[in-house]
Amino acid sequence: MKTILIFLILLLIIGESQAQTLIIGSVKDAKAKPVIGASISIKDSYDGTSTDSLGKFSFKSSESGEKIVLFSAVGFGMDSVKIVLSGTPLNLNLVLKEKLNALNAVTITAGSFEASDSKKGVVLSSLDVATTAGAVADVYAALQTLPGTQPAAAESGLFVRGGAATETNTYFDGLLVKNPFNTQLPDIASRGRFSPFMFKGTTFSAGGYSAVYGQALSSALILESKDLPEKTTTDISLMTVGAGLDQTIRFKNSALSFGGSYINLKPAFSVLKQATDWNHEPTSAGGTVTYKLKVAKTGMLKSYTEYSKSDVSLNTNDLNTQAKSFFSNDNKNLYTNLSYQDYIGNDWKINCGFSASNNSDDGEQAINNYGRTDRLIQAKATVTKYIGQLSTIKFGSDFLSSHRDESWNGLSRSYNDKLTSAYAESDIFLSNDLVARIGLRAEHSSYLNQNNFAPRVSLAYKTGKGSQVSFAYGEFFQNPDDQYLVQTSNLDFQNATHYMANFQKMKDGQTFRIEAYYKKYNDLVKSAPNLNNNGYGYAKGIDLFWRDKKTFNGVDYWISYSYLDTKRDFSNYPSAVTPEFGAKHSLNIVYKQFFSKLKSYVGATYSVASGRPFYNPNATEFMSDKTKPYQNLSINVSYLTSVFGKYTVIYASVSNLPGFKNVYGYHYSNDGQFRESVQPPALRNIFLGMFITIGDNTYKN
Amino acid sequence: MKKNIKNIIAIVFILLTGTTLKAQDAKYIGAMQSGLKMFSEAKTSADYVAASNQFERIGTQVKTEWLPFYYAAYTQLINNTTLTNTDEKDAAMDKAQELIDKAAAINPKESEIFAMKGYIKFMKIYVNPMARMQSGMGAAITDLETAKALNPANPRPYFILAQNTFYTPEAFGGGKTAAKAKFTEAAAKFDAFKTSNPMMPNWGVERNASLLAECK
Repeated sequence: MKTILIFLILLLIIGESQAQTLIIGSVKDAKAKPVIGASISIKDSYDGTSTDSLGKFSFKSSESGEKIVLFSAVGFGMDSVKIVLSGTPLNLNLVLKEKLNALNAVTITAGSFEASDSKKGVVLSSLDVATTAGAVADVYAALQTLPGTQPAAAESGLFVRGGAATETNTYFDGLLVKNPFNTQLPDIASRGRFSPFMFKGTTFSAGGYSAVYGQALSSALILESKDLPEKTTTDISLMTVGAGLDQTIRFKNSALSFGGSYINLKPAFSVLKQATDWNHEPTSAGGTVTYKLKVAKTGMLKSYTEYSKSDVSLNTNDLNTQAKSFFSNDNKNLYTNLSYQDYIGNDWKINCGFSASNNSDDGEQAINNYGRTDRLIQAKATVTKYIGQLSTIKFGSDFLSSHRDESWNGLSRSYNDKLTSAYAESDIFLSNDLVARIGLRAEHSSYLNQNNFAPRVSLAYKTGKGSQVSFAYGEFFQNPDDQYLVQTSNLDFQNATHYMANFQKMKDGQTFRIEAYYKKYNDLVKSAPNLNNNGYGYAKGIDLFWRDKKTFNGVDYWISYSYLDTKRDFSNYPSAVTPEFGAKHSLNIVYKQFFSKLKSYVGATYSVASGRPFYNPNATEFMSDKTKPYQNLSINVSYLTSVFGKYTVIYASVSNLPGFKNVYGYHYSNDGQFRESVQPPALRNIFLGMFITIGDNTYKN
Repeated sequence: MKKNIKNIIAIVFILLTGTTLKAQDAKYIGAMQSGLKMFSEAKTSADYVAASNQFERIGTQVKTEWLPFYYAAYTQLINNTTLTNTDEKDAAMDKAQELIDKAAAINPKESEIFAMKGYIKFMKIYVNPMARMQSGMGAAITDLETAKALNPANPRPYFILAQNTFYTPEAFGGGKTAAKAKFTEAAAKFDAFKTSNPMMPNWGVERNASLLAECK
């Protein structure tokens, strides 16, 4: 009895103390660098450890026999090896492969600046676009502080790398926007129609962009609207230029927003001395309706509709008759889009969209009546297949039906074009460090009866932690401007070929970018002696960008510089010269700081650009005269407070604070006897606004 | 004698199965205790990662306990505070999120897990507050409110919300004055709170007290 018990007790003790095996080793990555904090474990046991700061590990296991060792680390995949535990010490030299993921993978950056809140490694946030001083929440004005663009105060739109404003197109959830600006006035820049607060992502591409987008020779501005808003809210804006009210209602899986605004510039203009002789200061009234619906788990339906009407009239000087000349414009704009995206299974995604717009301008110019109507209908569908972790292949098609109607004192002319496009593009990740994007776009225009094929290739290679080089080449085609198309169909697509090389380094809140490019223009439209496609040109230059959020505590600033060398023969030019939108040097310094104690967000933007060429009929050489350099310093302050307990932002901005007298160019009388400078309507602009958000907490979850 | 042998066999049987059960339990408890020790002694990021790995290994092995994954996530969250590089901070918080999701899969109705989920979301926002504040706050607060609803006695969701108010600029509705009342409420909850088991979450009382002191 006793012996049995002793035997059993012995058995138990032996059972508890088995032989232990010492396992030591190291974990390295594919480049033989030690991996710190990697986890090593014996499968189906508690045994294991982590690597130290040298990537080494050591632990004992009481398991025995054939076992599997699992090893993994943050940012890496998981791997395993088989071992035999027998009491003999083991030495394991393990290698972990970097996980292919968006966090550490190379991204294609040649040509493009992306503002996003959700993606990693982007240069700007959506808020940056909205809060840049001098822009007063206008997307286009904010983007003029980025390299590759230049200040355009007398014209609407973006002049990108020697391209005319018409060469930049805007895409809203993938769909082309035909009339993204408010009423066009002579010699005055118009604001964009869309508020930057509507978008979660803004990509500004100065060239080499994806084959998914067509009909832009120089640049694409890609706006991606926000998903479901979190809460039911009411937003009230009271401004020196008008007022607005927006109501958002959040339901369980959807949200409906509607809003209206009324803008009248008369009070502001009566205080700020105007160089422009206004007859009826600009007024506009408009409304928007937005609906967003989450479909099942992964689908998202978005729709946006906007209608606005604006009126303005002013007197210009007719230099030939030395008399006042009347100009008026009555603009009505309707824009609507509908888009749907969803994932099918694990590796397919579909995006489809539909948009329609109708924009009409009517008015008087001197003693003449003019009218202009643009209509655009677009349907687009893209299918993306994910291959592995990061690689994709996508293909799709879009259909654009555009119509323009012009009238002049009862005479009218119009054109209709149906542009059918197909595209395919693949992002191929050869490793975490090397990606190639190969795309092809083909278009057919029914009106021109012409086809084009546009191959595009980009490469990006990660040269180190946070640094990478990118290259891009691409062919880009665009229909001639509407003003020419209404006259004849006997034209061809205009063409631009882009080449660019980019280096980017991002580290701890600092970003440095340098990009060199060469762009060749072919088949630009010339209006003399008759309309033809014999225009051509080139643009080359260097863009620099430096952003620093680190050096000065709480201060965020960026500096952008663009060097541009461009010449072109187009429009009514007699020879290839630097066009009026070809300032050689442009520099912007954008500064932002939050003062916590004052609850204020302060921003300043200083811009300087070398003089722009202008046409002087008295000069011996065409476009040889240049304006003096352009300078602007704008500041803004946002004060965060509460009014009746509601979250409120009080915003003030002053553009051209020091009162630099800028001249954008000159108009001459036909005989060259008289000239008049093109100037901003007011020396300084002052804007005050109060924005109140009333958040209703009836909906939670 | 025969009867005796039967008895002995029965006793041995009980003893043996008891030992194996106990051995499993003891192994689990031992591994958890060594993880908690690693956590309490951790100083560098590597130390916290090692502790987190230890908890993750335990969680993967036992499969039915939510505590190991909970602590694995919590150590990654604390690890985040030792890091300065924003990409690394993001990676640590993504890992914490992955781990707490594993804990939630085991016990979907645990107040402590929801509190940790909300805490992780806050920490994720703090990596880039300017960009993430607006879109992320709602989801974090929802998790913490769920944690309160699941167990009104759990002081941690109260503390985490108070701490968030403390670090939010006054301009955005935060600040010391607003936080003081919340820390006081959390302190009362901490006073009344008792854990059923020494391994259960029981952190936050000291930090709550010291931040409350700063509000005075």
